[in-house]
Amino acid sequence: MLEGAEFYFNVDHGYLEGLVRGCKASLLTQQDYINLVQCETLEDVKIHLQTTDYGNFLANETNPLTVSKIDMEMRKKLCREFEYFRNHSLEPLSTFFTYMTCSYMIDNVILLMNGALQKKSVKEILAKCHPLGRFTEMEAVNIAETPSDLFNAVLVETPLAPFFQDCMSENTLDELNIELLRNKLYKSYLEAFYKFCKNHGDVTAEIMCPILEFEADRRAFIITLNSFGTELSKDDRETLYPTCGKLYPEGLRLLAQAEDFDQMRRVAEHYGVYKPLFEAVGDGSGGKTLEDVFYEHEVQMNVLAFNRQFHYGVFYAYTKLKEQEMRNIVWIAECISQRHRTKINSYIPI
Amino acid sequence: MVSDDWATCEESGSRPQYRGPMAAPGLRAQMDSLLLQLLRDLEELEAKRAALNARVEEGWFSLSKARYAMGAKSVGPLQYASRMEPQVCVYTSEAQDGLQKVWVVRASAQTPEEVGPCEAALRRRKGLSRTPEPESSPAPRDPLNWFGILVPHSLRHAQASFREGLQLAADMASLQIRIDWGRSQLGGLQEKLKQLEPQSA
Repeated sequence: MLEGAEFYFNVDHGYLEGLVRGCKASLLTQQDYINLVQCETLEDVKIHLQTTDYGNFLANETNPLTVSKIDMEMRKKLCREFEYFRNHSLEPLSTFFTYMTCSYMIDNVILLMNGALQKKSVKEILAKCHPLGRFTEMEAVNIAETPSDLFNAVLVETPLAPFFQDCMSENTLDELNIELLRNKLYKSYLEAFYKFCKNHGDVTAEIMCPILEFEADRRAFIITLNSFGTELSKDDRETLYPTCGKLYPEGLRLLAQAEDFDQMRRVAEHYGVYKPLFEAVGDGSGGKTLEDVFYEHEVQMNVLAFNRQFHYGVFYAYTKLKEQEMRNIVWIAECISQRHRTKINSYIPI
Repeated sequence: MVSDDWATCEESGSRPQYRGPMAAPGLRAQMDSLLLQLLRDLEELEAKRAALNARVEEGWFSLSKARYAMGAKSVGPLQYASRMEPQVCVYTSEAQDGLQKVWVVRASAQTPEEVGPCEAALRRRKGLSRTPEPESSPAPRDPLNWFGILVPHSLRHAQASFREGLQLAADMASLQIRIDWGRSQLGGLQEKLKQLEPQSA
């Protein structure tokens, strides 16, 4: 790939980059968050959001307003913007967008399979699926009994097909296997996305590869943390770690042997990026959790992506920042509706 | 002797009964001790109620934190079946003083021959089992697994809070029964006292 993206980028993608930067400028500011935190009810939240870029997005909602309605409407708005970008994109940006939607598709597939396990109706679950991860074969997912079935019958035509290589098995899909399937699919997806960005080269690789490495390592840490005290064996755990991060290979091997949080912390201390993150984790219920600290770091990296021009990372960064904003608003709304205001300021400002 | 110290023959039947002022202090002492017990029970009930409210609030808040970490759709009504079997049963039994006592028992600790009323308790229940179960059910699956195998700690926290709340609820039910009984006893004693002292003061 020729170096010097600044010569060729704007021909195909200049309009969209300009658009996404405009969208990024309309994210909620610190002042908006301060106003939201002072609201007493969800109606106040709705009124405050009307003054921001969200506008009247809740205008058609009937009473009573709930947190999940707010969440759904925000998600629809993000989806509309994303679809607009996607419809106007050319290769290779279109492939980039497809890669971005794969993670939502994986979540939707797992949601549908879990629903099938709990004997829920397909319609009910389809309504709750993430709109960015919609694909035509979605309704048929619940008929599959094993991962091979799922692949051969349903997903072979979708973009998820190449990620099924490690997941083919004849085990019936119960809760443990669905979780394993989810993590293995995500691992393949992340590694494929990383390879795509790296092969693209140029500024995109310089921006996206560190972000994806962090994502891979984050997943490894969170899987390890959540697997303490469960029936997941250490070998199984190791197969779930994505290998495109900084922890590969020694860190992942050490992490697979970890049995509690302190051992995990010691693994992280070998890496200069992760040591300060683990030091920022508070103890017990008072301070920040590991997930909070990781979200903060992700926000920092995504904001820095906007400092360079002529790369695809701005689209990824914008989507992730918008998602963090949605998480913040949902958190504030839940604290307000539960009248539990002590931790209302734990959102992450952008 | 004053006439009202003795019941007249017409009132009490064949033998006159002594219902003089000597009986009243005994009754009063009984009332006092009953009242004190009642007040102690009330205080305990209030404390337990506050603790239950705190646990339930904590539980819901931990669920919100879990939603923040896992994504809003991963912790919600989509994850559990509409029909569940209970993991926890409520038992009642008669204690020595004739009062009913309520407590909760985990289903895994129960044997098939257990007698006693078993109503389904409200909170966490196990999911639908695939195969038809024989008489003794296998270890009931943890409802935490409805949300996946790898769940964040906030979800475990929520489960622990709700479990503690269950125990508190059972204690509160026993206390409430005791308080109601105490109140009715007190009412009865007050009636008796009123009958004994119609002319005093």
